[in-house]
Amino acid sequence: MNRFKNARLSTKLFFSLVITFLIIFATITFVTFVIVRDLTMNTQKEKAALLIDAVEPSISLSLFLGIKDMGDKLSSITRLDEVIALKISDNNGKNLLDYQQYTTSSPYESIKISKNLMEPSSLKPIGSITLTYSGEEFNKTMNRFYTLYGWIALSVFGILWLMLIWINRLLSPIKMIARKVRNFKPGEKITFDIPYAQREFTQIIHAFRVMQQSVWEYSQEIETINKNLEIKIAEQTHEATRHLYYDNLTTLPNRLKLQEDLSTKQSNTVAILNIDDFKEINDFFGIDAGDWLLSQIAHWLVEMKLSPYRLGGDEFAFRLKQGSTSAEFRHNIEMLLSLLSEKLFMISEETVHVRATVGIAIDSDKPLIHADVALNKARSAKQPYSVYDQSEGIEQQYQANIAMSARIRQALVEHRIVCQYQPIVSCSSGKIEKFETLVRIKNEDDSLIAPNDFLPIAQKTKLYHHITQEVVYQACNLFAARHEQFSVNLSGSDILDSRTVSTIENILRQTGTADRIIFEILESEGIDNFDEVASFISRMKALGAKIAIDDFGTGYSNFENILKLNVDILKIDGSLIKSIDENPRHRIVVEAIVDFAQRIGIDTVAEFVSSEEILQNVTDLGITYAQGFHTGKPQFLNQQLM
Amino acid sequence: MRIWVLFFILLLSVQAEDTLLLNSHIKMIPKIMALDTRLSAKSSSNKSILAIVYEGNRKNVAQKIADEINLNHNGKVANLSFSTVALSVDEVLVRQDISFTYLTKMSTSSTRKIAAWGINNTIPTFSYDMSNLEEGILGSIAIERSTVIYMNKTVLKEGKFRFNDTLFQIARLIE
Repeated sequence: MNRFKNARLSTKLFFSLVITFLIIFATITFVTFVIVRDLTMNTQKEKAALLIDAVEPSISLSLFLGIKDMGDKLSSITRLDEVIALKISDNNGKNLLDYQQYTTSSPYESIKISKNLMEPSSLKPIGSITLTYSGEEFNKTMNRFYTLYGWIALSVFGILWLMLIWINRLLSPIKMIARKVRNFKPGEKITFDIPYAQREFTQIIHAFRVMQQSVWEYSQEIETINKNLEIKIAEQTHEATRHLYYDNLTTLPNRLKLQEDLSTKQSNTVAILNIDDFKEINDFFGIDAGDWLLSQIAHWLVEMKLSPYRLGGDEFAFRLKQGSTSAEFRHNIEMLLSLLSEKLFMISEETVHVRATVGIAIDSDKPLIHADVALNKARSAKQPYSVYDQSEGIEQQYQANIAMSARIRQALVEHRIVCQYQPIVSCSSGKIEKFETLVRIKNEDDSLIAPNDFLPIAQKTKLYHHITQEVVYQACNLFAARHEQFSVNLSGSDILDSRTVSTIENILRQTGTADRIIFEILESEGIDNFDEVASFISRMKALGAKIAIDDFGTGYSNFENILKLNVDILKIDGSLIKSIDENPRHRIVVEAIVDFAQRIGIDTVAEFVSSEEILQNVTDLGITYAQGFHTGKPQFLNQQLM
Repeated sequence: MRIWVLFFILLLSVQAEDTLLLNSHIKMIPKIMALDTRLSAKSSSNKSILAIVYEGNRKNVAQKIADEINLNHNGKVANLSFSTVALSVDEVLVRQDISFTYLTKMSTSSTRKIAAWGINNTIPTFSYDMSNLEEGILGSIAIERSTVIYMNKTVLKEGKFRFNDTLFQIARLIE
């Protein structure tokens, strides 16, 4: 069906015409055949009936009168060749006459007609006459009809064929137009050479020529527009490529370009140069001046023929040139740093010295990462440059940090953050009056991970607040059923995190332990974020909590800040306590702290009390409480009182 | 002895008619009467009367023929009910209810009388003797190669007789 739909017009017309014609012809043929057959048959029957009618009265009368002269009466019809048989019988079925033509069996179908013989006066049936008439005439007539109709059919089909040829000739211009137009493309010119065509085709061709001209003109315009667009696209692509691969400020190739160059070229030796203290330059001279300085540095690096890349911010990178050795590259970097330290750059008529640190990765499979690792190492070690050394395991350390981060997260989910509590003993009475809460991670095998192993990582992965909230929750719920005071360590980020502070307040209210909790804050936190820490202390003291300054005496201890923050306890740093009996200087510092505390009326706690001698010393110095392995190791507590 | 002589004479007289022909007439005459299309107008009663006409002492012959007809047809042919009676020439001439007459052997003068009476009253007259057709009798039946009905064409016209058309298809009309 789809093939027919997609067929050519002439094919469709051809098949439609042929099918329609065949249907009509078949119908007419059938009807004619039926009519002719019936007419012929009826004619033959009528002939037979006429024969019977001709003899029937006399036969009836003879039968009625009992005259046995039927043979004579019927001789007029029995001598006819068409009469094959004639049979007369009375009402009782008795054969009165049975005539059979003396011929061989006829190949034609015969026609049999019967009629009742009627009594002449009463018209009652008194017998019957049956005439068998030859079908030869019928068959001959039908054969003549078939022959005649065959000729008619042949003529009609001939006419149809001529018609189809004529239609095909009429449609040939359409086929030619379609063939030429099929592959027409804008811009091409098609000519139609039709020697003979109907007016409609001439009009179509004329219309197509006009349209073709318009299309050609439009295509010329479009081609011009396309060329302009292509030029613009090429410019835009070039610009986009420049934006993608080149730094706008310095016009140097950027990190992406470096990565592509590293992936396509053989060299895997890279150095990353970081401008030292560039933030300070930005802060001091302003961002515009910083950008100007970066541009000057970039220009200078180009002049040094190092083919630099700008990775972003104050970082530049160099690749080992083809044909150079790693040793030469390293030497060049050293030379660069040396020259850079001597180079003077100008910012707003001011001369500026620039120092830089370089990380180098030689023949590395991850040159950028390894160079960055080396750079961090050099900065940490305050060295001008460092070369990445796989044996140092820095990358493994990163992997370990990632693994630990995952373990912390898992421990939080599975509630394996646990707390141990170290007793804080009164030096005067020797009794335990307080506990310091110390956090641990409990492994699946019940072993414990010390806080030094996971808290620094937790601080960098934003998990620290969750640990703090968990510790405060556990400690408060435990000591809600006990009577001792207890302390919890808070970091500066905890204090700055409003959600953590809010959670702590809620826990204190719910457990009713606000008047026995002591928050231990590092002295340095109070220096760095004084206002926020002061606000936190005020909120907690309003609830009844106490504040202790942890590890006091190690840094730049500021007594004024202590006074301002209104703390309750000073926890003297363990490094001063553990050598108090050996180091007179430490003893002097501790005496000063104790004296200061006593003067302002706050308690002191000595950490790292690991022996009886140390305990005796801190007691003698007037320190209020002692905490250490000698006075009590960290332990798990239950809610029952000791 | 007289009875035997009479019987013998009767037998001889009867035998004077051809038995085969007579039997044929006995079977056909009532049927030809039934073909008369004016028959209903000739009889006032339901039954038509077929008269077997005799002359002189031939009543027995006529009666015998009448009896045979009655016996053969039982008073009915097709839709026609009839009775056959033996009547003398004189009796026939005065009767008004006769529908059909069949003449046994008789003299020419009697034959002519009956023939004239038949023409005048449109009463078909059939005769045993075919030669009587020359005397004005309407028809007779002969046995030739097959049985043949002869009818006098002139009498048919004069007497205005009307028969079923089919009769004329088998009858031989003579002038």
